[in-house]
Formats: sequence, C-alpha cells, structure tokens
Amino acid sequence: MTPARRRTIEFLLDNLVWLMLITVLVIFSLTIPRYFQFGIFANILEQSTYVGVMAIGLAMVIISGNLDLSVESTAALSAMVTGLLFASSGIGLGIDLGPAIVMIPVSMLIAVAVGTLIGFINGFFTVKIGMSAFIVTLASFIWVRGLVVAISGGRSAQSLAPEIRMIGIERLFGIPLLAWISVLCFVIFAFIMAKTPFGRYITLVGGNEAATFRAGIPSGRILWMSFVLAGALAGLAGWLLAIRTSGATANLGVGMLFNAFAAVVIGGVSLKGGIGKLPGVYAGVLLIYSIHTAINLMRLPAHWTQVILGLLVLAAVLLDTLKLRLRERLL
Amino acid sequence: MTEPLLKLTGITKHFGAIEALRGIDLEVRAGEVVALLGDNGAGKSTLVKIIAGGLKPSSGSVWFDGAERHFASPSEAKKAGIETVYQDLSLCVNADVVANFFMGREITRKVLGIPILQEKEMERITGQAIAEAGTRIPSLRTNVEHLSGGQRQAIELNRFVHFGGKLVLLDEPFAALGVEQTARGMEMIRQVADRGVGVIVITHIMAQAFQVADRIAVIRHGKVAGDVETAKTSPEQAVEMITGGTLTIAGMDRAGTGRDPAQQGEEANR
Repeated sequence: MTPARRRTIEFLLDNLVWLMLITVLVIFSLTIPRYFQFGIFANILEQSTYVGVMAIGLAMVIISGNLDLSVESTAALSAMVTGLLFASSGIGLGIDLGPAIVMIPVSMLIAVAVGTLIGFINGFFTVKIGMSAFIVTLASFIWVRGLVVAISGGRSAQSLAPEIRMIGIERLFGIPLLAWISVLCFVIFAFIMAKTPFGRYITLVGGNEAATFRAGIPSGRILWMSFVLAGALAGLAGWLLAIRTSGATANLGVGMLFNAFAAVVIGGVSLKGGIGKLPGVYAGVLLIYSIHTAINLMRLPAHWTQVILGLLVLAAVLLDTLKLRLRERLL
Repeated sequence: MTEPLLKLTGITKHFGAIEALRGIDLEVRAGEVVALLGDNGAGKSTLVKIIAGGLKPSSGSVWFDGAERHFASPSEAKKAGIETVYQDLSLCVNADVVANFFMGREITRKVLGIPILQEKEMERITGQAIAEAGTRIPSLRTNVEHLSGGQRQAIELNRFVHFGGKLVLLDEPFAALGVEQTARGMEMIRQVADRGVGVIVITHIMAQAFQVADRIAVIRHGKVAGDVETAKTSPEQAVEMITGGTLTIAGMDRAGTGRDPAQQGEEANR
C-alpha cells in the first residue's frame, strides 16, 4: 500500500464521525420533507449547545482516564442557582443588578463557580483520596441532584431577568447566540487539547499515568484539573439551560448525561482513556441532534429516539473496535 | 579527589515489616559509570527509585551536587538534573514519538501568556537525536503502540542521551534490546559519561557491567556487599559478592581477568 493511500485511510478513520454526520444529513435531507432548511440546521446547532458544552468537560475527564457521571446534576444545580437568584417568579428571588453588561457576566460566573466547586470536590476524592471516579461521581450525581430538589423544594423558578435572557434570543448571522457559545467553547478547548502542554498532558496521563509521573509531569494535578474543568463546563451548560428555559425546574436536564456520554463515545473518545479529539465530540453531538430532529419531523413517537441512540452508541463502540483492528492490519 | 556528584549515607527503606534497604552508603562521581549489581530482590530498584525521587527513604541522607537533597517527586529530582530510564517502559503508547521524546519538557512559545507547543521544532530535534543514535523509526508521528520493543527502548535511551542532566539512572535498560542495539546502548552510556555525567546502571548481566562500568557496586540483602573498581575485580568475585561468599579482597589486583570471556556464558544463560 502506498503511504499516500494509507494516509488517506488513516484520515478517514480518524474523522469517521464527521463522515457519518454528513451522510446522515444528506440522507435525511433527501428523504424527509422539510428537513433541508436553514432553520432546521440552526435548530440542530442550538439544541446541541447544552449537551455539547457538557460533553467537552466529560470528554476531557474520559481522555485523562477517569469518568464523570455528575455533569448532568452539576448543570442542573448551576441552572437552579441561576434561576433562584435571577428569576422573578416561582421560587426566584429576582435579584436585579442593573444592566445586561453586569447581569450576564455575574450570573455566568456564579453558575460556573458552582460547577467548579462540584468538580473540585470530585477531583479531591478521586485524585487526593484515591477513590474510584465511578463511585465518587455517581455519588455526586445523586447528592447534587438531591441538593437541586432540596434548595428548590421541588418547585421551579420562572421568568429569568430579561437582561440575561437576551443571550437566548439574539442571533448572529441567523444562528442563535447560544449555538455560537458552544462552538466557541469547542474551538477554545480543542485548541487547548491540541496545542498546549496542559492538553498534551491530559492525553499522556490517560495513556500511562506512571510514565507521566516519572517524566516529572504533575499527573495528579492534571487529573484534578480535568475534573474541575468538567465541573466548570457543566456549570456553564447549566447557565445556558437556565437561559433557554427562562428559569429552572427541579428535574431540569434529566437524561442529558446519557446524551453527553453517547456523543463522547460516538465522537471517537475511548472509554479506556488517552484517545479522542474534541472536534469529533462536537460532530457526535450534532449527529445525535440531527437524528432527534429527524425523528421529530417524521412524527415518530419520541421514545424511539432512545432506542436509536442506544443502538448508535453500540454501533460507535463496535466501529471503534473495528477501526483498531483495521489499523493494526494497515500498520 | 573531587567532591562526589551523588553521595548516599545510611539509606534505609522499609515497607511495613520488610526491610528493603538496610543502610546503603554509595558515592558516584561526575563522569563515572557505576554498575549496580545484585540478585533479584536485593533492593536495587528501590534504591534507584529513592535517588530518582519516586520513593522517600525511611532514614539516611541523599547528597547531590554538594547539598543534601530530599526529592519529594521525580519532577524535583529531574529539575536537579537526575534522569532516569526505568525497567518497565515509561512511554505513553497512545501518543506519537515526538510527544514521548519531549514528555515533561515540551518546547513552548508564549503567545499572550499562553504556552503553545512548538511541534515543528520538537519534531526536528527528535528526528536529529534518533538519527544520530542510528535508530530507524519510520515516522515520528506514529503512535508508539505501533513500534517494536527495540524502537520503544531506543526512544527512552535517546531521551537521556539528548537531555543528559548531571546523573543518569538506568534500571535494566537493555532488557528489550537485541545484540546490536545493546552494543549501541553501551556506547551511548560511555558517550554520556565522557561528557561528565555520572551514570548508575543496574543490570544482572555480568558481561554488560564489566564492559561499561568504571566501578562495580554490589547490593545484597539491602546493604552494599562490595564496591570496587572494575579493573580490580573479576566476574567470579562479583558473583561471590552477589551470592554472599565472604569476600574481603575487594582491593586485590586481578586486573587481567576483568574482561574474562567466561562472562559470555552468563548472557547465554538468560
């Protein structure tokens, strides 16, 4: 086999999820009436925002060789705190800080800080104490959701301050501002992962932690930091979610964890750690919501989404295994 | 005589009730190659980990470069100039050759205060270092998982040759290498020592020790059982020290037998 041909195959294998996304979009556009519209695509982008932002952090934790099951509950807590402080009806306190220029950054920082704190706690028990990430973050998944229910008393906060809400209404080049935010997050974190020592270390630690420790890389700090970032990004996702729904309910975001996981796996991140790229994860999120949208347009019962997603995840993992075999044969 | 580069005094280490090291005294000078011999479980690897900052001694002191040092982590030891090549490979197989070569000391350039990896430059330097050492690796952008055992070990060896430092610790460095590559590895060790770097090499192949080392130190049951110049001892004496024959003729001049061909049997026996 010529090197050029091998490189082409390698490239295709590495970017399989984009190929799948394009294929799916073409098929849907040709077969489903009204699918091929700018509005539909803009909608897919917007829907992908919340899970997308959450999936970035989740992917980084998984690439570093751990697991974070708490991102969904963390987003819910950040959303509830945002709603509680800045929504005016329901349980909302309706705090008014004046113009949007103050309200937007302050509310965002609070939401991100809440997420950061949860991530910090997860990191503490996993890295410092040495507990299993699965157990620690499963516990967080439960107690953080419990906290959401407890501080809200099971009720909801509505009517988020309009100064903050404008983020969810404004558009740029016809595409919702919310979608731009998630794209920006992906660009920033993809850059960090590919071009900075920190990103490089996340991948290396996920590959062989002992080797990185011996090489003088503070592997514990890298692992901890990935949890903190996952928490912060989940917090940001929660803030966006609160803006979108103009407040928060106690069961906001239930089921997002599964979507985020599916996106991460479909996007080519290996659950064994050390392998995966963030652009692929974004393609995974877009793929999921393209299918969601298709199911909606075809007026299939929504329950089918779940069946299809489950099969898709299975297919993604199967594909990953096949890819590995194929690559072994090639090299 | 010049101040030793590394001086260990009374190093002990116990894991629970097990005493791995029971008072090690050892000196290594700059530019000197010391072979550390000893049976399995004698405490060689434990000692290396203590010098490299991976383990804390239970008692005793480590003097390095003229000051007493207690390295809390490999990164501290590395900063002080101690480079280590471990027995089990310390590579991240999910990353490419360049990333592994520069692991922990990536070349970066700050743009707006953010460190950015300089891939092109790192690739150039890696290519140079590996070519100079005569290793052939098809592509520096291949992930290490696709490389052979010899190629992997070559990356590690080239790493210490390139980055050097002041003291190099090698724990069974040739375990995965073929005959020719081993010979080249030995050459590398001499090269590095000639630059004034102190080298400690752990091996249990007597032939290698006698070929490359200036001094032979034998660890037995967690203590130094012998510490002699290579020229003044023989493989038979070394074996006796390793297995525990009472030996007080460490200074005895038997230089002629130092390169005894009988040692080759050792290698064949493995």
